[in-house]
Order: sequence, then structure tokens, then C-alpha cells
Amino acid sequence: MRKFDLELAVGIFMIAGILCLGYLSIKLGRMEVLGEKGYEVFAIFSNSGGLRAGSPVVIAGVEVGRVKEITLDDYQARVRINLPVDVKIQEDAIASIKTKGLIGEKYIEITPGGSEKFVEPGGRIRDTQPAVDLEQLISNYVFDKL
Amino acid sequence: MRWKSWWRWAIVLISILGLGNPSWAGEPTEQLKGTIDKIISILSDPALKGPENAEERNRLVRQAVDERFDWEEISRRTLGRHWSRRTKEERKEFIRLFGKLLERTYRRKVDDYSGEKVVYENEVLDGDYGVVKTKIITKKAKEIRVLYRMKKNGDSWYVYDISIEGVSLINNYRNQFNSIIVRSSYHELIKKLRAKVSAQ
Repeated sequence: MRKFDLELAVGIFMIAGILCLGYLSIKLGRMEVLGEKGYEVFAIFSNSGGLRAGSPVVIAGVEVGRVKEITLDDYQARVRINLPVDVKIQEDAIASIKTKGLIGEKYIEITPGGSEKFVEPGGRIRDTQPAVDLEQLISNYVFDKL
Repeated sequence: MRWKSWWRWAIVLISILGLGNPSWAGEPTEQLKGTIDKIISILSDPALKGPENAEERNRLVRQAVDERFDWEEISRRTLGRHWSRRTKEERKEFIRLFGKLLERTYRRKVDDYSGEKVVYENEVLDGDYGVVKTKIITKKAKEIRVLYRMKKNGDSWYVYDISIEGVSLINNYRNQFNSIIVRSSYHELIKKLRAKVSAQ
């Protein structure tokens, strides 16, 4: 009887450990298990400059969603974004690719617009601002100086 | 029988001539080009050169710009969600002040015009919306990418946003104005705009 209790306890600990490991790997890997919550929209940028799947999407500095996928579409970057249902994006919102700090991680910032129409699930944020290419800016400056 | 085939040839010929129009440009590009050409002709008109003609020149440029720019749309987009909270009079005043601010900001650049060329690169249409990509080529052969976002209203296309080197005018002012409004108030923003516009 005593032996059985011990084995049971070890088993429970093992299972708990495995569950914790699973939870951790999902959390850290930012995976979504139980399907997608929220809805998807997309935006087309002329330059996605280092944005990756999983990059954050923020409004007023608050993270509201993530980049799902970036594909090439007619030599432009087509970025799919996942947003929660309660975050509505106005039709005239602008999505811009920004950098955390000077050379930090890239993210998408959405500046809300004033339209009463909202972007439908699967719809497109029409107005975008590509990543500012620092090298390009510097080279413009340099060539101007010559 | 004879007549029928003659007609067919005529139709084919007409359609070839019609399609053979060398320009790929669609309506938005053509209309935008009309406005830009007009501004360039004003700026290169010898009769309007020199500081003594500055006022007349600016008036003409502003007139040409007003024909192609939808100031209400620009203002609405710039104020964003603060727009709906403004009364009709407040909106009118904002449109006027913001237009003046942009005029003031870009007047010096326009005054510096010295034969820069504008190249129309391509155009993307999406229903009533269109994007026209252009390049300004300076005398030193430096290229500045300028992108016009346009919206169709009736038969005409109106500009509602300009991106210079990828930086959107509306996004820039939207962020600035929003932070002023959130930090203090809309009236503070108007006060600042008035001060800026009247300080020549």
C-alpha cells in the first residue's frame, strides 16, 4: 500500500512537470494552441525592413497583436496581422513599421484614424508607412553634402 | 458584305489607336500631373520670379494645389478620432489653420524651385483609391521619392496624403497633434497652430 502511494506521487509530479514544460514552451515560443483568437487584417509595405512573424503590433505603445506572416506580393511585403476582436481598426488608420530604439527590434505601430468605417476581418489597412531605411537616409545626407 | 468588313477594319484601327496611347498612366496620374505641371509652369514663369512677386506666385500655387488637394479629407485624417468631437465651426477653422501651416512649411521649399524634374513611376489602383509614385530629381541628380495617395470623388481624384521618402505627412501630424490634444487640450492645439501660422 505504501509503495503504491509513493509511485502515485512520483507519477503525479512527473505529469505536473511535463504540463509545466508544455506550458512554458508554448508561452515562450508564443505559439497559439487552441486556434486563433481575434481576427486578421493585412497591410502592404514597400519595405518591411527586418520585421518578423511574431513581431508586436502596438497602438499607443500598447501591444495589441502580432504579425502572423510576411510574404512577398508583387515585390512588396504583404504582412498579415492578428488582432483581438475588441480592437477595431478604422479604415483610415495608418500602419507604420518602427524600430525600438535606434537599432532595436522592428514592430508595427497603428495610428488610429477618425473614420466611422472599420477594417473588416481579412481586410486591408490601406495606408502604410514602410520601415525608415537609416542607411538610405544617411546616404542621402552624405550625397547631398558632396 | 463589303461595308461590313470595312467597318470591322475601322473599329480595329480605332481601338489600336486608342490603346496605342504611349502612356501607361491612368486617371490619377494624369490629373496629378496636370496640377504639378501647372505649379512648375507658375514657378518657372519669368514674370513671376523674384521676391517682389512672391505674394502673387504663392497665391497662384496655392490655387493650383487647392484644386487637387482635399483639405477636408486631409484634416479629418490628421485629427483622426478627435475629428468627430469637433463642431462644424471648429472643423472649418482647423481646415483653414492646418492648410495655412502646410503652406507656410512648404513655401520656402517651393520658392527654392530651380528646375527639378518630376518623374512618374507607377500607379496602383484599388477601387476609389489610388497611389501614384513619383520621383523628384534634383539638379545634383539626387532622387527624392514622393508618393501621393489619392481618392476619387466624382470624376476627379484628390490627394489626401503625401509620403516623402516613406514618411507620411498625415501620420507625422496625426501623432504630433494627438500628443498635444491628449497632453493638454484641443484648444491648446488651436492656440499653437494660430501662433505658428501668424508668426511669419
